[in-house]
Amino acid sequence: MACLVEMSKVSKSFGGSKAVDGVSLRLMPGAVHALMGENGAGKSTLMKILAGVHQPDAGDLFRDGQKVSFETPREALEAGISTVFQELSLLANLTIAENMFLGREPVTRFGTVDRKRIRRETRKALAVLGLELNPDTLVSELSIAERQFVEIAHGIKADASVFILDEPTAALNAADVEIMNAQIRRLRAEGKAVVYISHRMDEIFGICDTVTVLKDGKLIATRHLSGMTPDSLIAMMVGRELQDLFPPRGQSSSEAVLALEDFRIDPGSKPLSLHVNKGEIVALAGLEGQGQQQLLRSLAGMYHLSTGTASITGKALPLPAPKAAGIRQLQARKVGFVPEDRKEEGLFLGLSIVDNIAIGLSSVHAELSIAHDYQQKIAETISSMNIKASGASSPVGALSGGNQQKVLLGRYLVAGLDMLLIEEPTRGVDIGAKTEIYKLLRRFANNGGAVLVLSRETIELIGLCDRIYVVHGKTIVAELPAKTATEHQILNAALSA
Amino acid sequence: MSAIVKHAFLQRLLRVPPAYLVFVILLVTLWIARPHMLNANIMGIFIRQVAPLGVLVLAQLLVMRVKSIDLSGGGIILLVNYFISSGIFPGATIPFYIGLSLATGIMIGLFNGWMIGKRRVSAVIVTLAVNIILVGFVQYLSSGKPPGDVPSYLNEIYNIKWGPVPAPVLFWFVLTVIMALFLSKTVYGRYVTAVGENPEAAHFSGVPVERTVILAHTLAGFIAAVAALVQTASIAVGSVRVGLDLPIMAVAATILGGVVFGRGEGGVWGPFFGVLSFALLFVVMTTFGIDDPGKLIAQGLIILLAATFYGMRTTKSN
Amino acid sequence: MLPMLLAIGIAVFLGIRTDQFLGSENIFNLIAQAMPLIITAIGQMFVVLVGGLDLSVGSLISFTTAILALDAPGYVTIPAVFLFAALIGISNGLVITRLNVHPIIATLAMQYVILGITRILRPVSGGTVPDIVIDSIAGSFLGIPMPVFWGLLVILVAWKLLHGSRFGLHLFAIGGGVANSTPDAARNFGVADKRNILLAYVACSCFAALAGVFLAGRIVSGDPNVGLLFELDAITAVAVGGTQLSGGIGSLQGTVIGALVLALLSNGMNLTNVSPFIQTAIKGGLLLLVVGLQTRKKIGL
Repeated sequence: MACLVEMSKVSKSFGGSKAVDGVSLRLMPGAVHALMGENGAGKSTLMKILAGVHQPDAGDLFRDGQKVSFETPREALEAGISTVFQELSLLANLTIAENMFLGREPVTRFGTVDRKRIRRETRKALAVLGLELNPDTLVSELSIAERQFVEIAHGIKADASVFILDEPTAALNAADVEIMNAQIRRLRAEGKAVVYISHRMDEIFGICDTVTVLKDGKLIATRHLSGMTPDSLIAMMVGRELQDLFPPRGQSSSEAVLALEDFRIDPGSKPLSLHVNKGEIVALAGLEGQGQQQLLRSLAGMYHLSTGTASITGKALPLPAPKAAGIRQLQARKVGFVPEDRKEEGLFLGLSIVDNIAIGLSSVHAELSIAHDYQQKIAETISSMNIKASGASSPVGALSGGNQQKVLLGRYLVAGLDMLLIEEPTRGVDIGAKTEIYKLLRRFANNGGAVLVLSRETIELIGLCDRIYVVHGKTIVAELPAKTATEHQILNAALSA
Repeated sequence: MSAIVKHAFLQRLLRVPPAYLVFVILLVTLWIARPHMLNANIMGIFIRQVAPLGVLVLAQLLVMRVKSIDLSGGGIILLVNYFISSGIFPGATIPFYIGLSLATGIMIGLFNGWMIGKRRVSAVIVTLAVNIILVGFVQYLSSGKPPGDVPSYLNEIYNIKWGPVPAPVLFWFVLTVIMALFLSKTVYGRYVTAVGENPEAAHFSGVPVERTVILAHTLAGFIAAVAALVQTASIAVGSVRVGLDLPIMAVAATILGGVVFGRGEGGVWGPFFGVLSFALLFVVMTTFGIDDPGKLIAQGLIILLAATFYGMRTTKSN
Repeated sequence: MLPMLLAIGIAVFLGIRTDQFLGSENIFNLIAQAMPLIITAIGQMFVVLVGGLDLSVGSLISFTTAILALDAPGYVTIPAVFLFAALIGISNGLVITRLNVHPIIATLAMQYVILGITRILRPVSGGTVPDIVIDSIAGSFLGIPMPVFWGLLVILVAWKLLHGSRFGLHLFAIGGGVANSTPDAARNFGVADKRNILLAYVACSCFAALAGVFLAGRIVSGDPNVGLLFELDAITAVAVGGTQLSGGIGSLQGTVIGALVLALLSNGMNLTNVSPFIQTAIKGGLLLLVVGLQTRKKIGL
């Protein structure tokens, strides 16, 4: 049987790191193809290449045996490849019908958009999915599930034969999941190829035919699911030796720096308790988007629905933390928040290394006090952190990813804090810089600091941390000592919750 | 290697505020066309004319450093001028006038800052609206006619000269030095730089972003009131039109001086020379017989060209 | 809905408070008074929909009256007016989409350039505009004054452009993306965003020129100051009409009603002898109020 789409030895890098490395994939008609891998294994990047969002650095795409390349999502859709991403791409201010036909609206003889026709065809496409939505409903009024169905209908209407569903069920309740699965089976029965990305084992085994496992951007294997068990699949996803990347663990005391009691991320989530002791590095692990980041950001005031009690070195931290002053409130309690997005939220790319580090020292002072240069301190930091740059006054934007990350970390390490809340400490950083960053964090802990860290790389959390909390469904579902934890264990804990 | 040096040199050249270049070109033009104009006394008088603009530019550059803009300066100048010239405060002393003016400027600036920083309303709309409210209000109070005379001692102060240096020019210079020190030596100056470069990152570094913006606007209102006092002293009479075009000229001079929304490469002295360039430009245009409309066109083109210059640079770096 | 009620409220209030308001003369006068603002506000709406703003329309209106009052035949000046308007729109659009200049700065600069040119053409008000322009506004057809037909025609054209064509739909799509901080969203659907944004600025300028033609017919001369602050009134009208300044949401009827609210307000204030200076201040306050009610995510221009 001829395959509908073939991706051959596709590679894509962002900055220095390879997100997808020589991966090949064949999609057959009438089959649901699961794409599995840990967080950050390259699944989403691979699918975004297929959908025309990213262009591959190397490798080829074939559509029905013809070599193709997609510059935009539109071109991919026109070639019959439809995508439903986690982050939705519909325009909320337009109606369902307008979204369905945007970019190639039919017009009447008078040059008017043929609303009758787009309404009719939209209703038809929705009916194929068994949906009874009014085509004139604004997308902003739809539930997330309905939006996803509209995106699928968009693909059906465009006569797509390949559907990419990137965690379509992550935000759905059980009833909607059932409907979604029925739709997927229907697409298969019509001879379409479906790529299905999900972390829910029961779904994978329930509706998928084949599975491709990725790890660190590389292809591990493609197998028929009939010959596999959930355990053997997890083993394929994990299977890696702990490398000698990590510094030895230290001695933690029993003196709590951060303690959360009866803490809820939002009123609808289950309460959780958590504590981080002096000298300890603690991880928030789990599948992507299960609330790890919301938990951390609630403390900094970015989510203000949190309730419960929080205390830092015994003193209460008012919840919910205020939006504008949340960071400063933490800072006043000697806690630093290191954001994930280095370029947007972390660094001043146009400013010098000195400025980037000094702002953390300056910002604890009142506006009208004299700003110091902190030359001595910053020079020491730059040399002790081994930041490689042509000079302390060179702009941070010109540094490599690893050195940028060190500058960001340096801002918080130099400020003499008691605790760090860190998102993704090594995102987009090469292996050498990773080791150095792990050492810096461990040194901070050994000197009496406490660290709460989240990462998409479970292996990093196991190697770096002392204790691991597994987060799922906006609450903590397990607590494990990192020393004996395995990726398998963590994945299991998250998936069985 | 030489290519890199050349590139770096070009980069550096691009970082020089256009104001310095324009200033030199105008100076040379004047020197060739009207050499007799280049004498300390004549230049002193011309530069004295732009002193109010120069002061107002200090306000504009501050708000533009935090990615905002203030177009309400014209209204503040008009209101202060009305306070002093209308005689509604009979027997008022200089300290009273100064205090009232500065307090008014601070209040208006605080309001602007609150709307822009806290309510996040478009800065252009807020300050333009505030401007027309103030203008309408003053014109109503004075029934559209010039209110009256300014106490003569204000004008006497304005006319003081030390050697060839007129008092207002010295005053402007001193204020500029203070602003330069303020921005380079205080923690607030660091906040301004941080917010201008990346408000998100500033927030995550513990900079109180909203407060920084509000304070910038409050200070801008204060400085606008100072500019209003200088302007009122300079014309010595009440007016319902005085200073209405100053805010836009201040925007032009600031951009020309290398300070554009969030980027402060021109520092405080770039815009200072931007104002001097304007002074020279007016001299040159006047000597070549170009009238006010021509000056309007020049202002518009300067803003457009300077903004394009920076706009293209940001596209390149992305 | 709210602006509609506001308009009715003002009308009822004026009907009760003043004798003149409900007279047919005042009603027709009101339409004629409101027309330039309605036209300008409709044009402004095109750029507001894509998250932009055009501050140059006031100057462009003055400029248009100045051109029409030149000593030249109407068949030259009238097409010339729209040609210039299109050129101004194109250059606004190019500077914004290609040279990456903020719309407010680009159009603010343009405002001054046009103002300067206008003052060179016509330092003080004067001159006469072609008869055809005057007749098309002062006259009547089938007993109905011409401004009514102007209004119908303009609304029809604008309706066609905004709600009856691919162009209009694409403007909504682009604005929806911009307002959601995903400016690429519309492009991903295959919408030519830069070209459509440019065309929005052209449309805005052309509507402003049309308003200028109408005004010229009413004042029968060229006036360098007649368009002063028109851009702010237009923005106020658009915002009162429920269009989001962040882009993507708005309707033609809302804008028309918004402009009517403003016109009724002016008419009422004139009838109740409110000083014109206070009127300016009140309009400024209204702008502050309606824009202040629309909150944004980011601080800035």
